[in-house]
Amino acid sequence: MSDKTPAVLIDQASKWYGEVIGINDVSLAIDGGVTGVLGPNGAGKSTLFKLLMGRLKPNQGSVRLFGVDPWTSTAPYRRVGYVSESERMYDWMTGLDFVATLARLHGMTREEATARAEHVLDFVGLSDVRNKELGKYSKGMRQRVKIAHALVHDPDLIILDEPLHGCDPIARTSIMSVIRELGSQGKTVIISSHILEEIERITEQIVILHNGRLLALGNLHAIRALLDKHPHRILLTCDDPRSLASQFISEDPVYGVRFPEEGQLEIQTNDLSAAHAILPRVIVDSGTDVSAIENPDDNLESLLGYLTGGDS
Amino acid sequence: MDAKGRALSETVWTRLDRKAGAITELTIRQLRHRLSTWVVLAVGALVMILLLAFYIDEIRRESEPVDNDGDSVDWDEDGYPLGQENKYGTSDWDGQEYPGSGYYVMTGEIDWNDDSRFHSGNHTWDGQGYLDAEWVDLDYTGNRWSGIIDWGQANPCPEGDAFDDWWIEWGEACTYDDGSYFVSGKFRASGTVNIPEGYYMQWGHMTLETYVEPEPASMYIDEDSILWDGEDVSEIYVESNCQPGWYYGSVYICNGFEVDDDGDCLVEMYDDNNNGIPCDVIWVLDADRDEIVDIRADYNVNEDIEEGKYQGESSHRTFIIGTGKMAFVLMLGIFIPLFLALGLVRDETENGTLHYLLSKPIHRAEFITYRLLGYLLLAGTYILVLVLLMALVTSLIGPGDSLIRLSDFPVWLGIGMATFLVLAAYGALYNTLGLIAPKYGVYFCIILGIWEFIMGMFTMTMPSASVPMLSISHWALQFIDAIVLIAWPDTLQYSQIASAFGIDSGLPFFWQPPVHTLGTQSPVAAMLVSVTVLLLITFAMMGIGQSSFKNREIM
Repeated sequence: MSDKTPAVLIDQASKWYGEVIGINDVSLAIDGGVTGVLGPNGAGKSTLFKLLMGRLKPNQGSVRLFGVDPWTSTAPYRRVGYVSESERMYDWMTGLDFVATLARLHGMTREEATARAEHVLDFVGLSDVRNKELGKYSKGMRQRVKIAHALVHDPDLIILDEPLHGCDPIARTSIMSVIRELGSQGKTVIISSHILEEIERITEQIVILHNGRLLALGNLHAIRALLDKHPHRILLTCDDPRSLASQFISEDPVYGVRFPEEGQLEIQTNDLSAAHAILPRVIVDSGTDVSAIENPDDNLESLLGYLTGGDS
Repeated sequence: MDAKGRALSETVWTRLDRKAGAITELTIRQLRHRLSTWVVLAVGALVMILLLAFYIDEIRRESEPVDNDGDSVDWDEDGYPLGQENKYGTSDWDGQEYPGSGYYVMTGEIDWNDDSRFHSGNHTWDGQGYLDAEWVDLDYTGNRWSGIIDWGQANPCPEGDAFDDWWIEWGEACTYDDGSYFVSGKFRASGTVNIPEGYYMQWGHMTLETYVEPEPASMYIDEDSILWDGEDVSEIYVESNCQPGWYYGSVYICNGFEVDDDGDCLVEMYDDNNNGIPCDVIWVLDADRDEIVDIRADYNVNEDIEEGKYQGESSHRTFIIGTGKMAFVLMLGIFIPLFLALGLVRDETENGTLHYLLSKPIHRAEFITYRLLGYLLLAGTYILVLVLLMALVTSLIGPGDSLIRLSDFPVWLGIGMATFLVLAAYGALYNTLGLIAPKYGVYFCIILGIWEFIMGMFTMTMPSASVPMLSISHWALQFIDAIVLIAWPDTLQYSQIASAFGIDSGLPFFWQPPVHTLGTQSPVAAMLVSVTVLLLITFAMMGIGQSSFKNREIM
């Protein structure tokens, strides 16, 4: 296998389930670094991953992992680690047992498997609970065990389907740092999420799926910069919204204000970055006590709404 | 060493072994963590323990002598058992008639239509009429069957005419005011009798008694044993008694072997087998004179055989074969896969744990194979333990002089093997059904299980019928039949002896010679045919499951 073969190569692939479209005419090549696959629920992220893992067969087009069709051959899985979105595990097994058993499916001996399992459990920060039964693990621990099992054979490509889903903030941070670490080790990591902020904290390289179609591909900041130039809202929670509003209305990036609820001020802007730049100064000058600043439009839905021309 | 530092001795095969080991081990551990596994295995073990308890009780009873023909009983309570009364030609229903008892000699009678209706004298009388007696022997009594008048029960006769206005039973009498009687039955008296027209009375005397020593009842238990010890068929062949003949092929027909020890056939000189020799047995041997083809016995020959020798052995074999077929093949063989194999792959899909396994470099077909292997290792070990337990207990308690019956072990291991092959075939079949029809697979399996059970019963009663060949159980039962004939070559004789002499035994039901011998009559051929068919079914079912799973999209 040539080194020039990309880890993932999808060529005009489509997959539908009867009348329902899973993914539609997607072409994609991924090799190296961390790539975030973004899309709301039902966008086709899981379908895409299941195609990559040979669970599904594309109706049209082709899917290749390291140049090999995963539907017909299991060979690529020697170099792939997969974290499925499934939450079910063998609850009666200990973490170490689970990872080691699955490691043996890579042809490792029992001793090799145990040693590798201990190593990866340490890597994901679970070495102190490795002899506890999986049934007693928290949600975040379970996600990390799943990641450990995917890493046990030192794969070149790691595919993670919603690994942060349902995790508490501490687990989230820990998983994110694991993924960033993998990226910095030079591995190809593909991670899906429906939360923009999560992906933003891990990578800049994103793929946006919407209704089964590939909507955008590239650097998140570039895409966001486009978004910034469009109408945006900033929501401030403060004790005197009216006096603060009078301060803002005179500022250049702000073109309107609203008072959605008691003690809240909504600023409308065409340039989010510029608005954020003036925000601290205006608040300090007004002497008003601001307890929270939110960007209700700074989410995937808004991004999709923008990318699809406002029909989402 | 290669680029990743792995030893070159590590071949594709050793890695395959490791994967197989991992999946197999995982499967066993998963099954061990399920309650249903333990429940079904415990129920199976419980059934076997109950059967063993039944066996111990049965074997204890079977080795005790049993009077099969009932001739040790003294039915008329005269102190002589039926067998002895038969020998002396006396009735066992009449307490007055026994070996050595006097017998009645008639000297005269008044017939229904004789003119003279009176007779006087001192006689033993038998009939109905009026009696004017000088003397009556009040001590002459008998039981209710003998018809002897019980004078102690004699009441005054009613008003009116005897026979017209009233009636008395046989063995009764009534008294008139003048001291005369009306009698009906047998009595001893001196006097004159008056016999109304249409009635009958005879008179005569009893001969002298001689004392005959009563024989103990135990003499008539196990008194008509089989001469042949059941071991060497050539013992039956005596040149002068055997002629070459034709009976479903060329055979030797041997007359006269066996005798009626207790003489209960000789009394009537039965010759049911029409060879001109009463009370004998015809043994039909095959052309090689090493196998009994048929046994044709006259009635009452060898009907009360020695339990310890024949019946014990026959019951012992019947128990082993019956347990092997019913409990192991038809019960455990059908139920264990239903609980353990149906969900082998299906449950992984439903539980969502399949993703972990299938994201590893392991082919789906391989995965099915190793899953089945894990199930078979667990179920096979269980069967082996049960079979050895049964073998140990029955071979220690079973009949025979040796401490342990080693010849039983091949049969038990054969039963274990047959069960294992059935577990493999049903396991592959049920697993495939679970895959093809995840929702309704269990119903298909239950219907199949019922079909297999019915076909198993058919196989036992009609082994050569063709419909049961469409079942898995048929081939496993045939395998047991073959193993039995290999380990105990004389089982055929035991089965025929039971049928020929009308001895109560389940052997002819539970065992018949194997059918599929490819014309060789060899049990080894039958065994090989059965194994081949069972393995073919297993691999075919596995193949169907694998190809279905291979082309399945997993959501």
